[in-house]
Amino acid sequence: MTVIDFLNFHIVPGIVIGSIYALGAVGITLIFGILRYAHLAHGDLATLGAFLALALVQLLGVPPLVVLPFVIVLTAGIAVGIDRVFYDAFRERPKIITVMSSLGIALMIRAVVQVVWGVNTQTYTRGLVRPDDYFGLRLRDREIYTVAAMIGLVVALQLFLNRSKWGKAMRAMSDNPNLALLSGIDNRKVVMLTWIISGGLCAAAGVFLGLNTELKPMMGWSMLLPMFAAAILGGVGRVEGAVLGGLIVGIAEELSVLVLPSEYKAAMAFAILLVMLLVRPTGLLRGKVL
Amino acid sequence: MELALGLANYALFMGVFIGIYAILALGLNIQWGYSGLFNAGIAGFFAVGAYTSAILTSPHAAGRIGGFELPTLVGWVGAMAVAGLVAWPIGKVCLRFRSDYLAIASIGIAEIIRLVIKSEDVLTNGAKGINNIPRPFGDLPYVQSQIAYLAIVIVVLAVVYVAVERQYNAPWGRMMRAVRDNEVAATAMGKDIAFRRLQAFIFGAALMGLGGALFAHFSRSITPEAIDPMVATFLVWIMLILGGSGNNRGAILGAAVVWIIWSVSEIATDRLPHEYAVQAKYIRVFLIGLMLQLVLRYRPEGLLPEPLGGARNAPAATAKATPRNGH
Amino acid sequence: MNKKVLALAGSLLAATALTGTAAQADVKIGLLGGITGPIAAMAPAMLLSAELAISEVNGQGGIGNGEKLVQVTGDSACNPQNGTDAATKAVNIDGVVGLVGPHCSGAVIAAANSVAIPAGIALITPSGTSPEITNLKDNDLVFRTVPSDDYQGRALARSLKEQGMDSVAVAYLNNDYGSGLANAFKSEFEAIGGKITTFAAHEGEKASYRSNLAELAKGGSDTLVIFDYGDGSGLTMLREALENGFFTNYVGADGMKSDAPIKELGANNLGTFLASAPVGEKSDSLDVFAKNFKDIGGDPDAVFVTTSYDATFLMALAIEKAGGDKSKVGAALRELSSATDGEAVMPGEWAKAKALIAEGKPFVYKGAAGTYNFDAAGDVPGVYALFKVGANGFEKVADMK
Repeated sequence: MTVIDFLNFHIVPGIVIGSIYALGAVGITLIFGILRYAHLAHGDLATLGAFLALALVQLLGVPPLVVLPFVIVLTAGIAVGIDRVFYDAFRERPKIITVMSSLGIALMIRAVVQVVWGVNTQTYTRGLVRPDDYFGLRLRDREIYTVAAMIGLVVALQLFLNRSKWGKAMRAMSDNPNLALLSGIDNRKVVMLTWIISGGLCAAAGVFLGLNTELKPMMGWSMLLPMFAAAILGGVGRVEGAVLGGLIVGIAEELSVLVLPSEYKAAMAFAILLVMLLVRPTGLLRGKVL
Repeated sequence: MELALGLANYALFMGVFIGIYAILALGLNIQWGYSGLFNAGIAGFFAVGAYTSAILTSPHAAGRIGGFELPTLVGWVGAMAVAGLVAWPIGKVCLRFRSDYLAIASIGIAEIIRLVIKSEDVLTNGAKGINNIPRPFGDLPYVQSQIAYLAIVIVVLAVVYVAVERQYNAPWGRMMRAVRDNEVAATAMGKDIAFRRLQAFIFGAALMGLGGALFAHFSRSITPEAIDPMVATFLVWIMLILGGSGNNRGAILGAAVVWIIWSVSEIATDRLPHEYAVQAKYIRVFLIGLMLQLVLRYRPEGLLPEPLGGARNAPAATAKATPRNGH
Repeated sequence: MNKKVLALAGSLLAATALTGTAAQADVKIGLLGGITGPIAAMAPAMLLSAELAISEVNGQGGIGNGEKLVQVTGDSACNPQNGTDAATKAVNIDGVVGLVGPHCSGAVIAAANSVAIPAGIALITPSGTSPEITNLKDNDLVFRTVPSDDYQGRALARSLKEQGMDSVAVAYLNNDYGSGLANAFKSEFEAIGGKITTFAAHEGEKASYRSNLAELAKGGSDTLVIFDYGDGSGLTMLREALENGFFTNYVGADGMKSDAPIKELGANNLGTFLASAPVGEKSDSLDVFAKNFKDIGGDPDAVFVTTSYDATFLMALAIEKAGGDKSKVGAALRELSSATDGEAVMPGEWAKAKALIAEGKPFVYKGAAGTYNFDAAGDVPGVYALFKVGANGFEKVADMK
């Protein structure tokens, strides 16, 4: 196997898939860090975002990247709505209640997608997109967009978290909620911001997954476990950790066929995760131990 | 007359499934309700139990190990033993992780177990699954056979319930709850927390293995499709949380209520006109999700909450002051 | 506490019983499909083709003295738990006289073992392909219209060899459908001197298969055989293989002969794609079915729709022959399928078949997916053809032997 083949068929797809995992994992890690529970509806929320984009694409006849910003806003709004209607009531309850609730939400979202859009496999644009050659590297334009959008969104998020007042408030809540509340941070606003960011990124993950492959009602659910693995791998509460985790999981899956029988591809993410937890329980970038 | 017989058959069938899921929920109650261990890999232990018993008791088949045709009881004991045995190293390694990390680690292990079962033909017959597993009294006619199996499941459930309940009231159970609620204090009192947790994990896993074996013998088959995380892990979690974690009767009641909702909701949505027969199934899933929200909202402690003050049938000596820390 | 549970269960049962006993004169059959769960994308089309058969029956005289054939749809969710639950309800609450489905093998085996066989209800699965179904101790009650993978895999191997493909790579979905076909294909292909350069299973629902494809391509073959579903991971794999030019020729089985690749990838990109699928001996049958199915908005190229239609039509024939007596439906199915001579009945010809049954004359049902001569285990051998993608969808290239 030549170096260029190795890059083309293992590293490049790994990075693209990893970027999609990363977009979801950032949301999961923020919810973990600030709200302190595992959000099991994250995959299905991504599915919803992908199908909302499909509706807009078909309605307006424009490429999916054009509608992406609208879908991000729309899904962020839906995420805030779900929190207000359902999760908010469980805030003072043991966190396991919210975890179970989110499982129910996952089922509900999937049912809505199946009723509204049906169950057939669909795509944003029909036909094949053959990769272009960049000095031997074979890249499809949508892959470049995926990775670029992921980097752009994460950089913007980091700037927001580090520079803005509310971003700092979110970090404070993640680091020490009691102290943050004592110092007068509005909990409700932080919760809402968390959902806006997580929901928006989640929608982006769904749209890019749909753009690179196909849209199916189960697409998000089957992405849930790798996204969780990525979030934990990177360290809970750490945005850059989630990105790193996503990339590692994506690349590891694509490399796994070199060492494991291909039916064990899905096991690779968990194998890495288990080793990581044993060696370094806080994740790659020191996250919190919940 | 025929309808009455049909309803009886349906009720018996539901009884068997509720009993099997109740055993799984009791196993989870030991791990989560007593000890605060967030095991999200129930499907893995369920699968190990089901396949162990299948291999031990099924007739010989070409291309895979097994075909020992041992008595069913041996299969069930074997299922518990092997599930516990598999749980031991997993617990040894993973129980040092706290709640959410343990959840994701155990879900990962369950997925790895599922992939092994799907792929290793020699051990499990791969994707094809194992068929012709004997059902006790399986040669009887339909109703009698279901009655007999339900009786067996009830007896097994009763034994499991008594065993688990005894542990709850025994010093072991009190200590486990102490460990769960305040680890530091329990350590300070000289309790070997890691070892106790491991005990709870193995005990719970063995019960999950037993549940898997009961399921395999009832269906006379086990296939990888049966160990999907939705039906074998998350459903059990919903049952325990909804029934009342920390309360064994709650676990059983939760299994009954959730399974009845799960099953009867289909009859309800079938009232839609038949042009919507397919959509009705999606709506059913939506209603199951919504029902879960409502019960969580209005019975957040579960249908039967954990009794305060620990031991039932005993004077409430020391009420637990701190609310459950749910991680 | 147990009393409470029983009381709750009892009252729920009573409630459903009151609403569930409306029209007793109708003859009910259960359609159990994997409507939710992993094969959700395939189930609606399969159910639609079953409904086509039912509406033809009702439009041409119904069962017996004009009684209506009524469907009871159950969701087997592609797992044994929901599969047995749905079968139990259909048999015991709705009182169906026959079951069509479930769709997934695991659900078929469990539903047959714990419901259909003990209750003495005949079951035909249109899509359960696992060889373990053959091994059921079924009192001659369990049948399938989908041939066991064995036949198709072997026939495909011989056809490819005939087409001059001597060396292929094989990728298969790691479930009973994919692994069954792949293993049958492999043993036959190697026995007749073909070379399989790489042979690898994959999990469904992954977002990328490029590394799998790179591994498969390493063997140096220019032909890839994919045993997967054309509206699932098979589509993803085919797309990525075509986009990156890993192979020149692509071959699939009936699961890949789906509308989805043509619709989503474009017919012009599928010039080197071949797919095998079961066809009737008398290929008019398929055309008749295709026309009727299109008329009600169905897609005749969707996966397993022909077998699903045939299963329902056969079940209706057996019910008619058994005079609506559910204990005789299994024997009637056996009898129907053993007929080798007599008039031919095509899809949609319910009135003709009904008259022949009334006269007691033998006839042969030439189904959309073939003629059904169930062997002792309730399996059918099946007749196959190889298809390519033309301007108007799939076009037959050659018969397969």
